[in-house]
Amino acid sequence: MPSLYHYLSLSALLFCIGIFGALTRRNAIGILMAIELLFNAVNINFVAFARFIDPQAIVGQVFTIFVITIAAAEAAVGLAIIILIYRQHKGVDVDKVNIMKW
Amino acid sequence: MSEYILTLLVFVPIAGALLLLLVNKEKGGLIKSFAFVIALINFILSLYLYFNFVPENGFQFEVNQSWVQSLGINYHLGIDGISLFLVLLTTFLSSLAILSSWSAIQEKVKGYMVTMLFLEAGMIGVFVSLDLFLFYVFWEGMLIPMYFLIGIWGGPRKIYATIKFILFTMLGSIFMLVAILVLYFMNYNYTGEYSFDLLKILQLPIPFGAQFWLFLAFALAFAIKVPMFPFHTWLPDAHVEAPTAGSVLLAGVLLKMGTYGFLRFCLPLFPNAFMNFVPLFSILAIIGIIYGALVSTMQKDIKSLVAFSSVSHLGFVMLGLFALNMQGISGGILQMINHGISTGALFLIVGMIYERRHTRLIEEYGGIARVVPVFATFLIIVTLSSIGLPGTNGFVGEFLILLGAFKSKTVYAVLGAVGIILAAVYMLWMIQRVLFQEIKKEENKNLLDLNLREKITLIPIVLLIFWIGIYPQSFLSKIEPAVKNMLEYVNYKSEQMSSCEKKFDEICEAKDEPAGYVKFELRRCTEESVLNLR
Amino acid sequence: MYFIPIFPEIFLFLWAILIFVVDFFLKEDKRKNLGYLSLLGILITIILLFFSAQGEMFGKVYSYDSLSLFFKLVFLLSAFLAISVSIDFVAKFRAFKGEFFGLILFSTVGMMLLSSARELIFLYVSLELVTIPLYVLAAYLKPDKKSAEAGLKYMLLGAISSAILLYGISLIYGITGTTFLLGIKTRLMVDYLQIGPIGPGLFLSFIFFIAGFGFKLALVPFHMWAPDVYEGAPTPITAFLSVGSKAAGLVAFLRVFFESFSVYNPDWVTIVAVLAALSMIIGNIIALPQTNIKRMLAYSSIAQVGYILVGLVALSERGVSSVAFYTLAYLFANLGAFVVAIAFELQTGSSEIKDYSGLSISSPTLSFLMMLFLLSLVGIPPLAGFVGKYYLFAAAIEKHLIWLVVIAVLTSVISLYYYVGVIKEMYFNKKEGGEKIFLPFGIKLALLICIIGVLLVGLFPNPFLNLASQAATVFKY
Repeated sequence: MPSLYHYLSLSALLFCIGIFGALTRRNAIGILMAIELLFNAVNINFVAFARFIDPQAIVGQVFTIFVITIAAAEAAVGLAIIILIYRQHKGVDVDKVNIMKW
Repeated sequence: MSEYILTLLVFVPIAGALLLLLVNKEKGGLIKSFAFVIALINFILSLYLYFNFVPENGFQFEVNQSWVQSLGINYHLGIDGISLFLVLLTTFLSSLAILSSWSAIQEKVKGYMVTMLFLEAGMIGVFVSLDLFLFYVFWEGMLIPMYFLIGIWGGPRKIYATIKFILFTMLGSIFMLVAILVLYFMNYNYTGEYSFDLLKILQLPIPFGAQFWLFLAFALAFAIKVPMFPFHTWLPDAHVEAPTAGSVLLAGVLLKMGTYGFLRFCLPLFPNAFMNFVPLFSILAIIGIIYGALVSTMQKDIKSLVAFSSVSHLGFVMLGLFALNMQGISGGILQMINHGISTGALFLIVGMIYERRHTRLIEEYGGIARVVPVFATFLIIVTLSSIGLPGTNGFVGEFLILLGAFKSKTVYAVLGAVGIILAAVYMLWMIQRVLFQEIKKEENKNLLDLNLREKITLIPIVLLIFWIGIYPQSFLSKIEPAVKNMLEYVNYKSEQMSSCEKKFDEICEAKDEPAGYVKFELRRCTEESVLNLR
Repeated sequence: MYFIPIFPEIFLFLWAILIFVVDFFLKEDKRKNLGYLSLLGILITIILLFFSAQGEMFGKVYSYDSLSLFFKLVFLLSAFLAISVSIDFVAKFRAFKGEFFGLILFSTVGMMLLSSARELIFLYVSLELVTIPLYVLAAYLKPDKKSAEAGLKYMLLGAISSAILLYGISLIYGITGTTFLLGIKTRLMVDYLQIGPIGPGLFLSFIFFIAGFGFKLALVPFHMWAPDVYEGAPTPITAFLSVGSKAAGLVAFLRVFFESFSVYNPDWVTIVAVLAALSMIIGNIIALPQTNIKRMLAYSSIAQVGYILVGLVALSERGVSSVAFYTLAYLFANLGAFVVAIAFELQTGSSEIKDYSGLSISSPTLSFLMMLFLLSLVGIPPLAGFVGKYYLFAAAIEKHLIWLVVIAVLTSVISLYYYVGVIKEMYFNKKEGGEKIFLPFGIKLALLICIIGVLLVGLFPNPFLNLASQAATVFKY
């Protein structure tokens, strides 16, 4: 039976991988995927806390659903912008998208 | 009338400037006359102050209205014998400055006159505010017109000069802002009332440690403005590049704000710190006197010669103020006015000759006394007053200052006197090279002498030079009571504070606690038992 | 008769949808009028604010109080100004005019909700409602590569920052078992009495919160997106970002930290004070060499946030009210400067500072106004920025934060140099023959509002101070 700490460790690990990915990836889609990892790390946290800390209430689960929804919206906007970038630069490498000083 | 007069003095120029904005900018003549009339009206209004001033009464013509209620900021104006003549000097020199720029300023006349009027309002505001917040508003707000005056209508290196000017003065005054806020909360802690009112804050018993830092914060702002010796580097640049009227007001009035600030704020607010700093500031003042004089001697440009001579003259004023006795301080105040008149006049004269020849280099002239005798006469009179020849205004001021310095420490007076000798050297040498000797340059042979407008500009100055020189009592009688009051108050307060600190230390020792850690409450109780300031 | 507290938001939301719908039915050349329609909506919302009852809704999730009233006015005002300057800006686009205004309105609704949020789910959703439309708006100038780049950078970093914030929220939820701000406070208080000092989990979540909000506020070291986004985004959006979005981050910050984390004040306030100092120093110093006015204003706005936080770390009623007051003063001055930049850009297509030279000859009024706005940003009396800074510093000095105030005043002097640099270009560098800048109605209106604001707040600050100090009564200190 996994305890709360197992879930939290998993989520922390995911979060670290996500941050690492977001900072080191060169491909914009890759960064977007890393950001999704971050959101999922948060979701695991919420669900785990809801299950272990506060079993009667469902706030954690509700929050998760909101996060999933908003992450979807964010991804939609993000992909739209990435497509725009793709059209202009014929690629989605963020190093090339650098007219201004980063 | 006497309640509104100061408000009028501040707001007539502002109203004039706003009205001027409506005038079509093509009508240069109308704009000039209008601005001059406004300045003249203001001067006439300020004469009301002179005739209705009662020397014994302390602060007069007071207005005290709430401005920003929730912060305790008041619109509190008032003058005493210290500020009376500075206000008069401001209105007087402003009128002359506008008159002098009649032909010198050809482009952007409207902007120029608007700037001048705003500058005048700001300068008067500084001298009449009795609320620290209001004072700061005028003090900082006045930078902007001066910035533009130098930056737009100045000489070749105007941008460098004006940015240096504004950065220096801002750097100094921003610490004063912090100090003002500290005083504000001290006042609240002590009285439970939020107020920036100078007269209320003056009553505060400020502990020695705090006095030290607050004095430094205020003194930095004022020392840069004066300018005292190590902070003077902005002055020659600003003076040389500024248009004539700008130099006149800069030398005549703006520098006095620094010395006025020392007298009005530093001395009565932090008397113990002030006394502790007397040696340092006196020495700096003397260095300023001698250094300014020596550098003046070396100058090739007449205007920078006059600019460096300001450093020297203001050193005298500071020496007088830091003598901390009747003669020194009264002399210092009188010398502020003298310097305003003489140096203002010197800048005007330099401006007049510059308009004719478009050069200010001493070597370009020589022997022009024969070509322009009226000009030469004025220049000689003003120079002699600047040197301090008996019978002119400069003599009275410098004599009083040296007397005061002699009483406080003989060495200061001796060293100060060296400055007077040096002043005679560089001024007379300049006169000799400009007015006398042979006429070397062809262009100088056909110089035009002063026209009527220029004579009208200079005559009042010459009259004042002799008036103060021959009958200084008409000025000193109004200054001295205020100085006497101030000194009495300062001595009383510093003694009280000293005994208070002593008692406080005793209590700390008895309780075996280091002074810094004792509760504020205890300090307050001690103060209340020892002091009876309010 | 009073409406329910959330009514203004509902109204503005519906109005935004209305804009989208009307957009379908209008002919291409009439779509410019959608801007005026949006302005009308904002005006009605401002009026509705005063006719809505103050109070709580949805069981303390949403509360309309004096703090949110103040900030809602700030948001609506900045949206109003941003839209009124974009009317002529948008006219240049080939398509999608209606969406531009609609998205600004959506974002404004998000800000308004955010200022009333007292529960973390609600706070998070409102925050996303603020930022997602802004991602789109930043990338709005489609053919412009800079704009797309700005959108991409803003979107990626914004998403990362909200994920970090969320992680902080999840930790807080785990520690306290609730997402209500008041509930968190009660729980933390109990913990504090039972367990004592701050634990590592809580400390980590504070850091995550500060980082998350720091991104929104463009606080050093979370500021790196700001200059690029500000330079690349359409200038009206930059203006909106620099004021509206910042104020939104600020009010969320105030709510969360003052309401929930007040038990552990000493633990987080030091971090914020250090970040404020860094923002002032780094923002002002990097602003010095900038040649593009938008980039310069971006760095200056980083520094301005530093000043605002000086009031916040005072942790007093005076502090919060000075924060609110300065936000208002900053709104007028900063938006004013941006409006001038927009007018200039509309005509000349340039936002380089060197192109401003000689502006005082060709357009004296415009350069005079620009000068006042910039001087207000420096804090020269008697303009709004001066009273604001005075008030901020007063709050900090009251709490003996002398070191922070000294940094603030020194960096103010630095800031003088680059603000005055623009004035220098306009006034001292003579370049004859510059064309007069034409001012369309929307821009004139915005300039008028900004200049009245700057002068009024500076000369007669009483009513605004009262409003701000009322806003500060929401928290217990």
